Amino acid sequence: MDFSFLEVHKEDFIDGFLTTLSVSLVALVLSLIIGTIIAIFRISPLAILRAIGTAYVEFFRNTPLVIQVFFFYFGLASIHINLSKFFVGSLGLAIYTGSFMAEAIRAGIQAVPKGQMEAARSSGLSYVQAMWHVILPQAFKLIIPPLGNQFINLVKNSSVLAIIAGTDLLYAADVAIANYDVTSVYVLVALLYLVITIPLSIGVNYLEKRWAKKG
Amino acid sequence: MTIIQFTNVNKYYGDFHVLKDINLTIQSGEVVVILGPSGSGKSTLLRCINRLEDISSGELIVDGFKVHDKNTNINLLRQEIGMVFQHFYLYPHKTVLENITLAPIKVRKMNPEEARKGAMELLTKVGIPEKANAYPSQLSGGQQQRVAIARGLAMKPKIMLFDEPTSALDPEMIGEVLDVMRTLAKEGMTMVCVTHEMGFAREVADRIIFMDEGRILEVGTPEEFFNNPKEERTKLFLSRILHH
Repeated sequence: MDFSFLEVHKEDFIDGFLTTLSVSLVALVLSLIIGTIIAIFRISPLAILRAIGTAYVEFFRNTPLVIQVFFFYFGLASIHINLSKFFVGSLGLAIYTGSFMAEAIRAGIQAVPKGQMEAARSSGLSYVQAMWHVILPQAFKLIIPPLGNQFINLVKNSSVLAIIAGTDLLYAADVAIANYDVTSVYVLVALLYLVITIPLSIGVNYLEKRWAKKG
Repeated sequence: MTIIQFTNVNKYYGDFHVLKDINLTIQSGEVVVILGPSGSGKSTLLRCINRLEDISSGELIVDGFKVHDKNTNINLLRQEIGMVFQHFYLYPHKTVLENITLAPIKVRKMNPEEARKGAMELLTKVGIPEKANAYPSQLSGGQQQRVAIARGLAMKPKIMLFDEPTSALDPEMIGEVLDVMRTLAKEGMTMVCVTHEMGFAREVADRIIFMDEGRILEVGTPEEFFNNPKEERTKLFLSRILHH
């Protein structure tokens, strides 16, 4: 292993790490919001909302993330909508991951006993209030493991930013391998991804255990 | 004063005719117990009152609200009706106190401190103030059902609906739940109860309604119903449940 490239590229790797981390965080929050809304569309009594939800999931889940990001970056640029790489990266990841999250969240909502909604609604809560205060908190506890998988995939998928020169971790590596040992560079990049994903795994496991106890 | 009025109510699940031509008037302060074999439509009838089930035809007026009218704001009516379910359906992620205060705080916009005070009074009334900060999973079935009753009462409802409130309980715990219901009845609460507790029906009900195959077959005081049933089907039902 030869980490001498750090003498020249240390700043690139720090920047790359911070970009990957912040894009992931923004995308994570956005994808949770998108996933929740689409999940509720998918089980809505209104056929039109169900159709929108299904179309969303089937389209974004079944097309490659790279193509979606290309579309948001180059496609929109061709009609003079120029978005920042950071914005395109976060939004693209959120929209893509949101389709997977929607399915996990929908499964969670449907796993909450029907009587919970009836009890909440019969006390006078509106549908939205019942969802927010009664159903979703229980649904999210049930789906922590699959949601955790999606979080981790999201962090790794953020490497798609490199292909539009998004100065993320992988892009820092692409720059460094021009003049230095390829293996060492990628080992470092892999380690830096682990610095984000391992604590994420531990956090998810912790939440799963803590919530399992409280019932 | 009439508080619940069914007029020619019918309900279908697809082709299945669940409620057949229901005509029923319930007065404010009345305790009505609905009896009948399983599948007779008792629970469905009860669940129509707060529109957990939609009726297919006829008119249903509850506390002045037209329940059959799609334009009626059902959330407003539901604030006036507490409901207790067979399987309690307490919110497992919330403490006992939070279960009781959720609707008063979110729906009635009650000040949280005030809501908690009211909840503690209700918990005292149902006999388990010491469980205020416990989670439902830490309670026995009987305790959970008493919390559910307190939750139903927290909105200060005009009507309480009970859907087989003791059917999921260990025999030892049925008494404590019935005691709470008895107290409520004495205080003048309007109650509609679907139950299999014949002792409770006989002692507490003002009127008994007997249903079979989606129809109301017989209506009467407990005295008339148990001692002098008119319909053959009622006699058969009573002979089966009272002498097993």
